[in-house]
Amino acid sequence: MNRKGAFARYLNRSGWLFVTPALVLFGVFMLYPILSSLYLVTRKWRGMTDSFVGLGNFVRMAQDNQFWHALGNNFLLMILQVPLMVILALVLAVVLNQGIRRGRGLVRLMFFLPAVTSLVAYSILFRILLQTNGMLNNLMLSLGVIQQPIGWLNDPFWATITMVIAITWRWTGYNMIFFLVGLQNIDPEIYEAAEVDGASKITVFFKITLPLLVPVILFSAVTSTSGTLQLFDEPNILTNGGGPANATMTAALYIYRQAFVTNSDFGYATAMSYVIVLIAGILAIVQIRLLGDRK
Amino acid sequence: MSVVRSPFTPIRLLMWIILAIGSFVCVFPFYWMVVGSTLNPNAVIHGNLLPGNELWINLEKATKNYNLPLFFWNSLFIASITVFLGVMVNAMAAFGFEKYPSKAREWFFGILLLTLIIPQISIVLPLFKLVAGFFAPIDMLFGTSFGGLLDSSWGIIMPFLMSAFIIFFLRQNFKMFPTEIVEAARVDGSGEWRIFLQIAMPSMTASFASAAILMFIGQWNSYLWPLMTILSDGTKTLPIAMSSMMNAYTIEYGGLMLIVTVSMIPVLAVFLGLQRQFVAGLVGSIK
Repeated sequence: MNRKGAFARYLNRSGWLFVTPALVLFGVFMLYPILSSLYLVTRKWRGMTDSFVGLGNFVRMAQDNQFWHALGNNFLLMILQVPLMVILALVLAVVLNQGIRRGRGLVRLMFFLPAVTSLVAYSILFRILLQTNGMLNNLMLSLGVIQQPIGWLNDPFWATITMVIAITWRWTGYNMIFFLVGLQNIDPEIYEAAEVDGASKITVFFKITLPLLVPVILFSAVTSTSGTLQLFDEPNILTNGGGPANATMTAALYIYRQAFVTNSDFGYATAMSYVIVLIAGILAIVQIRLLGDRK
Repeated sequence: MSVVRSPFTPIRLLMWIILAIGSFVCVFPFYWMVVGSTLNPNAVIHGNLLPGNELWINLEKATKNYNLPLFFWNSLFIASITVFLGVMVNAMAAFGFEKYPSKAREWFFGILLLTLIIPQISIVLPLFKLVAGFFAPIDMLFGTSFGGLLDSSWGIIMPFLMSAFIIFFLRQNFKMFPTEIVEAARVDGSGEWRIFLQIAMPSMTASFASAAILMFIGQWNSYLWPLMTILSDGTKTLPIAMSSMMNAYTIEYGGLMLIVTVSMIPVLAVFLGLQRQFVAGLVGSIK
């Protein structure tokens, strides 16, 4: 008995030894910041000094139209971009899965390339490409598609479109991979049975393929929504700080600017970041509810 | 599959057109970027699509005006150390959580996973305060002046060594490593550390490759946190250097295109060389 107890203690101690380095790092760089944010959020910084304001930062946030405007932009981009991308990724996956046999690997590789690019690199490329006197306008002008250069980055309407195009370019191939895996997991016998029954290709797609892909579609939609909520690199670089006229200002960028650029008020920035955590939490619950019991 | 065999149908033509346009749109910016690094600034803006002959001039600008080698080295140092130490720490934790079951550790694991929900923008604010005054308690106790870890590579590395996601990912993979082997080795007299290092780790190289790729790319492409903590030119990583070039009064577009190209080479090389592990790491996140 005693020896068995000693062995169990030995195993338990070994277990702790293996997880300790990670848990120490977790405590220092994750738990401590989370707890200390509870203190930060009650303070107001003025220059180098700070004072207690209680819930003052939240009151200020409630009245800060710019913050809600920025958050609204996140939702606008979500509504415009996520469905577009999910549909596009689905179409590409289905076409890639059915349309060709030879060279499928190569095409898949090309579609996935944008997802390998860093957000900074592609934001820079798109910003140069889309300048008013830049290559895309020059090309379209010389082809006679447009008479006036389009203000891709200078006009509030077009800047939003630019963001949608850029994010879609970056993430469609990434989501397509998930759809491809989903498609390949569908049992071929189901299709054979449908073919025997004389179902048309379109019927098969809408009645069999699509319903079986619902979990992947939901996964892709929820993670993309959560990604859109955190947009930072693109508005900071591509549209140069959320411009023009804050048309592409996002919540994360606004928070960053409050803490580092326009102000150095960490308390206020922390208060706003709580809203982002809250929304992310709701999205996570939605994700678990929608997908949890399907797996 | 009859679609594939039938020689020519309108729907098949449509599929080809979709794939052709899609591939072109995906690849074109890369082509344009590589071509751009051989052009002079005006030609880049105007949109020349054929290679020019200013590659060496751009390379000179990138190294002399922009100090590309230093930024590349900074990025490489940070990403490599993160991968080396990070994979080790996270693999140990994954092994500990999976092969030494205990209620208390399972509880910690649950908390670890819970923090995955927290968006980066929310954690970096209090993290910044912590890192800025990292050695403040030591300085206060011993009268030293270590200060903080701002504007230092270690300040970028250390907060991101532990990754709850990587631990989760590796733990899922350790589930496939038979516990019987661990027990057999123990009976043979192997210590736990040796079981981990010499038996468990070598048999899971593919999973570790996926984890290493994910960590490398995460750190190589990281932007928000370095943007907050890097203060001087000497510590800039490639993404920070590139984004600050975009804000300069005059932009050497040719040199910049070259730097963007160079910044993509390591990730592209890893992707093309280890495609399977690369995609396994991504898809692993939903399995």
